[in-house]
Amino acid sequence: MKLEGTYRFNTAQEKVWEVLTNPKHLEKAIPGCEKLEEIEPGKYDATLKIGIAAIKGTYKGMAEVADPQPPDKYRLVVEGGGSPGFVKGEALIELSYQDQRTIVSYQGEGQVGGLIAGVGQRLISGIAKMMLGQFFKQIGKELKSL
Amino acid sequence: MKPCAFEYFDPQSVEEVFKLLDKLGDDAKILAGGQSLLPMINFRLARPEVLIDINKLDELDYIKEENGYICIGALTRERAIEDSELIKSKIPILSEAVKYIAFLPIRNKGTLGGSIAHADPSAELCLMMIALEAQIKIESSQDARWVDAEDFFLTYLTTVIEPHELITEIRMPIPAAETIHSFQSFSRRHGDFAIVSVAVVLEINDDGICEGAKIALGSVNPTPLRVAEAEDMLIGKKLDAKLIEAVANETAEASDPDPDLHSSADYKREMARNFTKKGLMQVLKRFEENA
Repeated sequence: MKLEGTYRFNTAQEKVWEVLTNPKHLEKAIPGCEKLEEIEPGKYDATLKIGIAAIKGTYKGMAEVADPQPPDKYRLVVEGGGSPGFVKGEALIELSYQDQRTIVSYQGEGQVGGLIAGVGQRLISGIAKMMLGQFFKQIGKELKSL
Repeated sequence: MKPCAFEYFDPQSVEEVFKLLDKLGDDAKILAGGQSLLPMINFRLARPEVLIDINKLDELDYIKEENGYICIGALTRERAIEDSELIKSKIPILSEAVKYIAFLPIRNKGTLGGSIAHADPSAELCLMMIALEAQIKIESSQDARWVDAEDFFLTYLTTVIEPHELITEIRMPIPAAETIHSFQSFSRRHGDFAIVSVAVVLEINDDGICEGAKIALGSVNPTPLRVAEAEDMLIGKKLDAKLIEAVANETAEASDPDPDLHSSADYKREMARNFTKKGLMQVLKRFEENA
Protein backbone atom coordinates (compact mmCIF):
# COMPACT_ATOMS: atom_id res chain seq x y z
CA MET A 1 0.00 0.00 0.00
CA LYS A 2 1.48 3.32 -1.04
CA LEU A 3 0.67 6.33 1.05
CA GLU A 4 1.63 9.88 0.19
CA GLY A 5 0.45 13.35 0.89
CA THR A 6 1.23 16.89 1.90
CA TYR A 7 0.26 18.96 4.89
CA ARG A 8 0.84 22.65 5.54
CA PHE A 9 1.32 24.35 8.88
CA ASN A 10 1.47 28.04 9.68
CA THR A 11 4.47 27.50 11.94
CA ALA A 12 8.24 27.71 11.66
CA GLN A 13 9.95 24.64 10.23
CA GLU A 14 12.05 24.03 13.37
CA LYS A 15 8.92 23.87 15.51
CA VAL A 16 7.21 21.43 13.13
CA TRP A 17 10.36 19.29 13.15
CA GLU A 18 10.33 19.30 16.93
CA VAL A 19 6.72 18.11 17.11
CA LEU A 20 7.20 15.47 14.42
CA THR A 21 10.22 13.88 16.07
CA ASN A 22 9.65 14.31 19.79
CA PRO A 23 8.01 11.27 21.43
CA LYS A 24 6.17 13.56 23.85
CA HIS A 25 4.16 14.96 20.93
CA LEU A 26 4.14 11.81 18.81
CA GLU A 27 2.51 9.88 21.65
CA LYS A 28 -0.41 12.32 21.54
CA ALA A 29 -0.56 12.53 17.76
CA ILE A 30 -0.39 8.87 16.74
CA PRO A 31 -4.02 7.64 16.72
CA GLY A 32 -4.65 5.16 19.51
CA CYS A 33 -1.15 5.44 20.89
CA GLU A 34 -1.20 4.41 24.52
CA LYS A 35 2.50 4.36 25.14
CA LEU A 36 5.67 5.47 23.42
CA GLU A 37 8.77 4.54 25.41
CA GLU A 38 12.32 5.31 24.34
CA ILE A 39 14.57 2.25 24.07
CA GLU A 40 17.50 4.12 22.59
CA PRO A 41 17.73 7.61 21.00
CA GLY A 42 15.26 7.75 18.14
CA LYS A 43 13.86 4.28 18.76
CA TYR A 44 10.64 3.72 20.70
CA ASP A 45 8.53 0.89 22.04
CA ALA A 46 4.95 1.55 21.01
CA THR A 47 1.58 0.27 22.13
CA LEU A 48 -1.29 1.23 19.86
CA LYS A 49 -4.98 0.55 20.31
CA ILE A 50 -6.41 1.20 16.87
CA GLY A 51 -9.43 0.30 14.92
CA ILE A 52 -12.72 1.63 13.73
CA ALA A 53 -16.17 1.25 15.24
CA ALA A 54 -16.41 -2.25 16.71
CA ILE A 55 -13.21 -3.49 15.09
CA LYS A 56 -10.40 -2.67 17.47
CA GLY A 57 -7.08 -4.28 18.17
CA THR A 58 -4.02 -3.71 20.31
CA TYR A 59 -0.71 -3.65 18.52
CA LYS A 60 2.67 -3.77 20.20
CA GLY A 61 5.73 -2.79 18.32
CA MET A 62 8.38 -0.27 17.52
CA ALA A 63 8.65 3.17 15.97
CA GLU A 64 11.92 4.69 14.82
CA VAL A 65 12.94 8.17 13.74
CA ALA A 66 15.74 7.08 11.41
CA ASP A 67 18.41 9.04 9.46
CA PRO A 68 17.34 12.39 10.91
CA GLN A 69 18.57 15.46 9.04
CA PRO A 70 17.07 18.24 11.14
CA PRO A 71 15.03 20.17 10.32
CA ASP A 72 14.57 18.85 6.77
CA LYS A 73 13.90 15.15 6.64
CA TYR A 74 13.86 11.75 8.31
CA ARG A 75 12.62 8.25 7.77
CA LEU A 76 9.82 7.01 9.98
CA VAL A 77 9.81 3.25 10.46
CA VAL A 78 6.90 1.57 12.20
CA GLU A 79 6.27 -2.06 12.96
CA GLY A 80 3.63 -3.68 15.11
CA GLY A 81 1.74 -6.88 15.69
CA GLY A 82 -1.36 -7.90 17.49
CA SER A 83 -4.07 -10.52 17.31
CA PRO A 84 -5.80 -8.92 14.30
CA GLY A 85 -2.59 -9.00 12.29
CA PHE A 86 0.56 -7.04 11.71
CA VAL A 87 1.47 -3.65 10.34
CA LYS A 88 4.78 -2.57 8.80
CA GLY A 89 5.50 0.78 7.31
CA GLU A 90 8.23 3.14 6.27
CA ALA A 91 7.87 6.71 5.15
CA LEU A 92 10.19 9.45 4.05
CA ILE A 93 9.11 12.68 5.70
CA GLU A 94 10.37 15.93 4.21
CA LEU A 95 9.92 19.47 5.47
CA SER A 96 10.33 22.72 3.61
CA TYR A 97 9.41 26.34 4.18
CA GLN A 98 7.49 28.38 1.62
CA ASP A 99 5.29 31.51 1.79
CA GLN A 100 5.59 31.59 5.56
CA ARG A 101 4.34 28.05 5.92
CA THR A 102 6.00 24.74 6.63
CA ILE A 103 5.17 22.08 4.10
CA VAL A 104 5.37 18.48 5.28
CA SER A 105 5.31 15.87 2.56
CA TYR A 106 5.40 12.16 3.20
CA GLN A 107 5.92 9.25 0.88
CA GLY A 108 5.60 5.80 2.29
CA GLU A 109 4.88 2.17 1.84
CA GLY A 110 2.77 0.17 4.21
CA GLN A 111 2.19 -3.52 4.58
CA VAL A 112 -0.67 -5.03 6.43
CA GLY A 113 -0.97 -8.72 7.05
CA GLY A 114 -2.90 -11.27 8.99
CA LEU A 115 -6.61 -11.26 9.68
CA ILE A 116 -7.36 -7.58 9.07
CA ALA A 117 -5.57 -7.75 5.74
CA GLY A 118 -7.71 -10.64 4.59
CA VAL A 119 -11.12 -9.84 6.00
CA GLY A 120 -10.77 -6.07 6.09
CA GLN A 121 -8.86 -5.61 2.84
CA ARG A 122 -11.51 -3.50 1.13
CA LEU A 123 -11.35 -0.83 3.76
CA ILE A 124 -7.70 -0.77 4.77
CA SER A 125 -6.44 1.81 2.33
CA GLY A 126 -9.18 4.24 3.22
CA ILE A 127 -8.82 3.71 6.94
CA ALA A 128 -5.03 4.17 6.72
CA LYS A 129 -5.60 7.49 4.94
CA MET A 130 -8.08 8.48 7.59
CA MET A 131 -5.64 7.71 10.39
CA LEU A 132 -2.93 9.74 8.67
CA GLY A 133 -5.41 12.59 8.51
CA GLN A 134 -6.06 12.22 12.24
CA PHE A 135 -2.32 12.13 12.91
CA PHE A 136 -1.60 15.38 11.08
CA LYS A 137 -4.64 17.07 12.57
CA GLN A 138 -3.32 16.23 16.01
CA ILE A 139 0.17 17.45 15.00
CA GLY A 140 -1.51 20.73 14.17
CA LYS A 141 -3.02 20.83 17.68
CA GLU A 142 0.36 19.99 19.25
CA LEU A 143 1.91 22.89 17.33
CA LYS A 144 -0.71 25.29 18.70
CA SER A 145 0.04 24.16 22.25
CA LEU A 146 3.78 24.93 21.95
CA MET B 1 -12.74 -19.33 14.48
CA LYS B 2 -15.09 -18.83 17.37
CA PRO B 3 -15.95 -15.53 19.00
CA CYS B 4 -14.44 -14.37 22.24
CA ALA B 5 -16.67 -15.07 25.23
CA PHE B 6 -19.62 -12.72 25.61
CA GLU B 7 -22.67 -12.26 27.79
CA TYR B 8 -25.91 -12.83 25.88
CA PHE B 9 -29.28 -11.16 26.44
CA ASP B 10 -32.58 -11.98 24.82
CA PRO B 11 -34.92 -9.05 25.57
CA GLN B 12 -38.62 -9.42 24.84
CA SER B 13 -39.44 -5.73 24.40
CA VAL B 14 -37.93 -2.46 23.23
CA GLU B 15 -38.08 -1.13 26.81
CA GLU B 16 -35.97 -4.07 27.96
CA VAL B 17 -33.43 -3.26 25.25
CA PHE B 18 -33.21 0.36 26.44
CA LYS B 19 -32.63 -0.81 30.03
CA LEU B 20 -29.83 -3.10 28.88
CA LEU B 21 -28.27 -0.40 26.73
CA ASP B 22 -28.36 2.12 29.58
CA LYS B 23 -26.53 -0.34 31.80
CA LEU B 24 -24.20 -2.08 29.34
CA GLY B 25 -24.23 0.01 26.14
CA ASP B 26 -20.53 0.82 26.18
CA ASP B 27 -19.58 -2.86 26.03
CA ALA B 28 -22.51 -4.14 23.99
CA LYS B 29 -23.41 -4.75 20.36
CA ILE B 30 -26.94 -5.17 19.11
CA LEU B 31 -27.50 -8.49 17.33
CA ALA B 32 -30.19 -8.30 14.63
CA GLY B 33 -29.71 -10.42 11.48
CA GLY B 34 -26.07 -10.93 12.37
CA GLN B 35 -24.97 -11.03 8.73
CA SER B 36 -22.36 -8.32 9.26
CA LEU B 37 -21.73 -8.72 12.99
CA LEU B 38 -21.30 -12.49 13.28
CA PRO B 39 -18.42 -12.73 10.75
CA MET B 40 -16.69 -9.88 12.60
CA ILE B 41 -17.00 -11.54 15.99
CA ASN B 42 -16.23 -15.00 14.65
CA PHE B 43 -12.97 -13.67 13.24
CA ARG B 44 -12.46 -11.88 16.54
CA LEU B 45 -12.09 -8.57 14.75
CA ALA B 46 -14.84 -7.27 17.01
CA ARG B 47 -14.92 -8.45 20.61
CA PRO B 48 -18.04 -7.06 22.28
CA GLU B 49 -18.42 -8.21 25.85
CA VAL B 50 -22.19 -8.19 25.54
CA LEU B 51 -24.57 -9.18 22.74
CA ILE B 52 -28.14 -7.93 22.90
CA ASP B 53 -30.25 -10.12 20.60
CA ILE B 54 -33.23 -8.08 19.38
CA ASN B 55 -34.75 -10.73 17.12
CA LYS B 56 -37.81 -11.12 19.38
CA LEU B 57 -38.86 -7.50 18.81
CA ASP B 58 -41.64 -8.14 16.27
CA GLU B 59 -42.89 -4.61 16.83
CA LEU B 60 -39.87 -3.36 14.83
CA ASP B 61 -40.69 -5.51 11.80
CA TYR B 62 -43.08 -3.71 9.44
CA ILE B 63 -43.43 -1.91 6.11
CA LYS B 64 -46.19 0.69 5.84
CA GLU B 65 -47.24 3.85 4.06
CA GLU B 66 -47.92 6.91 6.21
CA ASN B 67 -48.36 10.57 5.28
CA GLY B 68 -46.41 10.38 2.06
CA TYR B 69 -43.63 8.23 3.51
CA ILE B 70 -42.78 4.58 3.37
CA CYS B 71 -41.93 3.63 6.95
CA ILE B 72 -39.89 0.50 7.60
CA GLY B 73 -39.15 -0.94 11.01
CA ALA B 74 -35.47 -1.41 11.80
CA LEU B 75 -35.80 -5.18 12.22
CA THR B 76 -37.44 -5.68 8.80
CA ARG B 77 -35.59 -8.37 6.85
CA GLU B 78 -34.04 -7.47 3.50
CA ARG B 79 -36.03 -10.34 1.99
CA ALA B 80 -39.28 -8.70 3.10
CA ILE B 81 -38.23 -5.44 1.42
CA GLU B 82 -37.40 -7.42 -1.73
CA ASP B 83 -40.84 -9.10 -1.73
CA SER B 84 -42.85 -6.02 -0.80
CA GLU B 85 -45.42 -5.02 -3.44
CA LEU B 86 -45.86 -1.69 -1.68
CA ILE B 87 -42.17 -0.83 -2.08
CA LYS B 88 -42.11 -2.13 -5.65
CA SER B 89 -44.91 0.25 -6.58
CA LYS B 90 -43.94 3.30 -4.50
CA ILE B 91 -40.10 3.20 -4.35
CA PRO B 92 -39.08 0.82 -7.17
CA ILE B 93 -35.35 1.70 -6.96
CA LEU B 94 -35.26 0.29 -3.43
CA SER B 95 -36.87 -2.90 -4.67
CA GLU B 96 -34.18 -3.20 -7.33
CA ALA B 97 -31.23 -2.33 -5.10
CA VAL B 98 -32.09 -4.87 -2.40
CA LYS B 99 -31.69 -7.71 -4.91
CA TYR B 100 -27.96 -6.89 -5.12
CA ILE B 101 -27.40 -7.52 -1.42
CA ALA B 102 -25.18 -10.62 -1.25
CA PHE B 103 -27.32 -13.77 -1.58
CA LEU B 104 -30.83 -14.83 -0.68
CA PRO B 105 -29.99 -16.68 2.56
CA ILE B 106 -28.22 -13.55 3.80
CA ARG B 107 -31.19 -11.39 2.86
CA ASN B 108 -33.46 -13.75 4.79
CA LYS B 109 -31.72 -12.74 8.00
CA GLY B 110 -30.14 -9.36 7.32
CA THR B 111 -32.14 -6.33 8.39
CA LEU B 112 -32.42 -2.73 7.20
CA GLY B 113 -31.50 -1.35 10.63
CA GLY B 114 -28.55 -3.70 10.97
CA SER B 115 -27.17 -2.88 7.53
CA ILE B 116 -27.22 0.87 8.07
CA ALA B 117 -25.90 0.63 11.63
CA HIS B 118 -22.94 -1.31 10.23
CA ALA B 119 -22.34 1.45 7.65
CA ASP B 120 -20.22 -0.44 5.14
CA PRO B 121 -19.34 1.98 2.32
CA SER B 122 -20.40 -0.64 -0.26
CA ALA B 123 -23.77 -1.42 1.30
CA GLU B 124 -26.73 -1.07 -1.05
CA LEU B 125 -29.09 -0.02 1.73
CA CYS B 126 -26.72 2.71 2.94
CA LEU B 127 -26.61 4.04 -0.61
CA MET B 128 -30.41 3.96 -0.75
CA MET B 129 -30.70 5.97 2.45
CA ILE B 130 -28.64 8.75 0.89
CA ALA B 131 -30.19 8.54 -2.58
CA LEU B 132 -33.75 8.61 -1.21
CA GLU B 133 -33.09 11.24 1.49
CA ALA B 134 -34.30 8.89 4.19
CA GLN B 135 -34.66 9.72 7.86
CA ILE B 136 -33.55 7.40 10.61
CA LYS B 137 -35.25 7.21 14.01
CA ILE B 138 -32.81 6.63 16.85
CA GLU B 139 -34.23 5.95 20.29
CA SER B 140 -33.09 5.43 23.83
CA SER B 141 -34.76 5.28 27.23
CA GLN B 142 -34.52 9.10 27.40
CA ASP B 143 -35.05 10.31 23.91
CA ALA B 144 -36.23 9.74 20.36
CA ARG B 145 -34.58 11.65 17.51
CA TRP B 146 -34.83 11.69 13.74
CA VAL B 147 -31.56 12.00 11.84
CA ASP B 148 -31.34 12.81 8.14
CA ALA B 149 -29.40 10.19 6.19
CA GLU B 150 -26.80 12.77 5.10
CA ASP B 151 -25.95 13.39 8.77
CA PHE B 152 -26.21 9.76 9.85
CA PHE B 153 -23.11 8.25 8.22
CA LEU B 154 -19.83 9.64 9.54
CA THR B 155 -17.16 7.44 7.96
CA TYR B 156 -16.24 3.79 7.45
CA LEU B 157 -18.40 1.61 9.70
CA THR B 158 -19.25 4.64 11.85
CA THR B 159 -22.58 6.37 12.41
CA VAL B 160 -23.97 8.89 14.88
CA ILE B 161 -25.58 6.17 17.01
CA GLU B 162 -24.52 6.46 20.66
CA PRO B 163 -23.77 3.36 22.80
CA HIS B 164 -27.11 3.58 24.63
CA GLU B 165 -29.22 4.05 21.47
CA LEU B 166 -31.16 1.83 19.08
CA ILE B 167 -32.40 2.43 15.51
CA THR B 168 -36.14 1.76 15.51
CA GLU B 169 -37.50 3.06 12.20
CA ILE B 170 -36.45 4.33 8.79
CA ARG B 171 -38.74 6.46 6.65
CA MET B 172 -38.38 7.58 3.06
CA PRO B 173 -40.49 10.18 1.24
CA ILE B 174 -42.42 8.53 -1.58
CA PRO B 175 -40.90 9.83 -4.84
CA ALA B 176 -43.11 12.01 -7.08
CA ALA B 177 -45.08 10.42 -9.91
CA GLU B 178 -42.75 11.73 -12.62
CA THR B 179 -39.70 10.13 -11.03
CA ILE B 180 -37.59 7.82 -13.15
CA HIS B 181 -34.77 5.85 -11.60
CA SER B 182 -31.87 3.60 -12.40
CA PHE B 183 -29.75 1.46 -10.14
CA GLN B 184 -26.37 0.22 -11.34
CA SER B 185 -24.06 -2.06 -9.43
CA PHE B 186 -20.78 -3.48 -10.66
CA SER B 187 -18.93 -6.43 -9.16
CA ARG B 188 -16.92 -9.25 -10.63
CA ARG B 189 -19.26 -11.94 -9.38
CA HIS B 190 -22.88 -11.77 -8.45
CA GLY B 191 -23.18 -11.23 -4.73
CA ASP B 192 -19.74 -9.69 -4.25
CA PHE B 193 -19.34 -6.31 -2.57
CA ALA B 194 -19.85 -3.73 -5.30
CA ILE B 195 -16.76 -2.21 -6.88
CA VAL B 196 -18.94 0.78 -7.73
CA SER B 197 -22.68 1.32 -7.42
CA VAL B 198 -24.74 4.22 -8.73
CA ALA B 199 -28.26 5.34 -7.85
CA VAL B 200 -29.94 7.83 -10.19
CA VAL B 201 -33.32 9.28 -9.27
CA LEU B 202 -34.58 12.00 -11.63
CA GLU B 203 -37.84 13.94 -11.83
CA ILE B 204 -38.53 14.65 -15.48
CA ASN B 205 -41.58 16.64 -16.62
CA ASP B 206 -43.64 15.96 -19.75
CA ASP B 207 -41.38 18.20 -21.85
CA GLY B 208 -38.37 16.11 -20.93
CA ILE B 209 -36.90 18.77 -18.64
CA CYS B 210 -35.21 17.54 -15.50
CA GLU B 211 -36.80 19.19 -12.47
CA GLY B 212 -35.14 17.19 -9.73
CA ALA B 213 -32.04 15.05 -9.56
CA LYS B 214 -30.39 12.75 -7.07
CA ILE B 215 -27.19 10.99 -8.02
CA ALA B 216 -25.44 8.94 -5.38
CA LEU B 217 -22.47 6.56 -5.50
CA GLY B 218 -21.44 3.68 -3.28
CA SER B 219 -17.98 2.18 -2.73
CA VAL B 220 -16.07 5.28 -3.83
CA ASN B 221 -16.02 7.11 -0.53
CA PRO B 222 -16.01 6.32 3.21
CA THR B 223 -19.77 6.90 3.11
CA PRO B 224 -22.27 6.92 0.23
CA LEU B 225 -21.61 9.98 -1.89
CA ARG B 226 -24.24 12.40 -3.21
CA VAL B 227 -22.75 14.29 -6.14
CA ALA B 228 -24.37 17.73 -5.95
CA GLU B 229 -22.24 19.18 -8.76
CA ALA B 230 -23.50 16.49 -11.14
CA GLU B 231 -27.10 16.95 -9.98
CA ASP B 232 -26.93 20.73 -10.59
CA MET B 233 -25.83 20.13 -14.17
CA LEU B 234 -29.12 18.39 -14.87
CA ILE B 235 -31.65 20.79 -13.35
CA GLY B 236 -33.66 22.71 -15.93
CA LYS B 237 -32.04 20.82 -18.80
CA LYS B 238 -33.21 18.22 -21.27
CA LEU B 239 -31.52 14.87 -20.90
CA ASP B 240 -29.43 13.92 -23.94
CA ALA B 241 -26.29 11.93 -24.71
CA LYS B 242 -23.95 14.96 -24.55
CA LEU B 243 -25.26 16.11 -21.16
CA ILE B 244 -25.11 12.55 -19.84
CA GLU B 245 -21.43 12.31 -20.85
CA ALA B 246 -20.66 15.58 -19.06
CA VAL B 247 -22.53 14.56 -15.90
CA ALA B 248 -20.77 11.18 -15.85
CA ASN B 249 -17.38 12.92 -16.11
CA GLU B 250 -18.28 15.30 -13.29
CA THR B 251 -19.33 12.37 -11.12
CA ALA B 252 -16.05 10.56 -11.72
CA GLU B 253 -14.13 13.75 -10.83
CA ALA B 254 -16.07 14.09 -7.58
CA SER B 255 -15.32 10.58 -6.40
CA ASP B 256 -12.04 9.96 -4.62
CA PRO B 257 -11.95 6.20 -4.29
CA ASP B 258 -9.39 4.14 -2.43
CA PRO B 259 -7.73 1.20 -4.12
CA ASP B 260 -8.14 -2.36 -2.96
CA LEU B 261 -7.32 -5.87 -4.19
CA HIS B 262 -10.14 -5.81 -6.71
CA SER B 263 -9.58 -2.44 -8.29
CA SER B 264 -7.21 0.49 -8.40
CA ALA B 265 -8.44 4.00 -7.65
CA ASP B 266 -8.26 4.89 -11.34
CA TYR B 267 -10.29 1.84 -12.28
CA LYS B 268 -12.96 2.65 -9.70
CA ARG B 269 -13.14 6.21 -10.98
CA GLU B 270 -13.47 4.96 -14.54
CA MET B 271 -16.24 2.57 -13.47
CA ALA B 272 -17.95 5.41 -11.61
CA ARG B 273 -18.00 7.33 -14.88
CA ASN B 274 -19.20 4.38 -16.95
CA PHE B 275 -21.95 3.32 -14.60
CA THR B 276 -23.22 6.83 -14.01
CA LYS B 277 -23.45 7.12 -17.78
CA LYS B 278 -25.21 3.76 -17.97
CA GLY B 279 -27.64 4.79 -15.24
CA LEU B 280 -28.51 8.09 -16.91
CA MET B 281 -28.90 6.38 -20.30
CA GLN B 282 -31.32 3.93 -18.72
CA VAL B 283 -33.32 6.79 -17.22
CA LEU B 284 -33.48 8.46 -20.64
CA LYS B 285 -34.58 5.24 -22.27
CA ARG B 286 -37.28 4.69 -19.61
CA PHE B 287 -38.50 8.25 -20.11
CA GLU B 288 -38.72 7.79 -23.88
CA GLU B 289 -40.53 4.48 -23.48
CA ASN B 290 -43.16 6.03 -21.20
CA ALA B 291 -43.67 9.18 -23.28
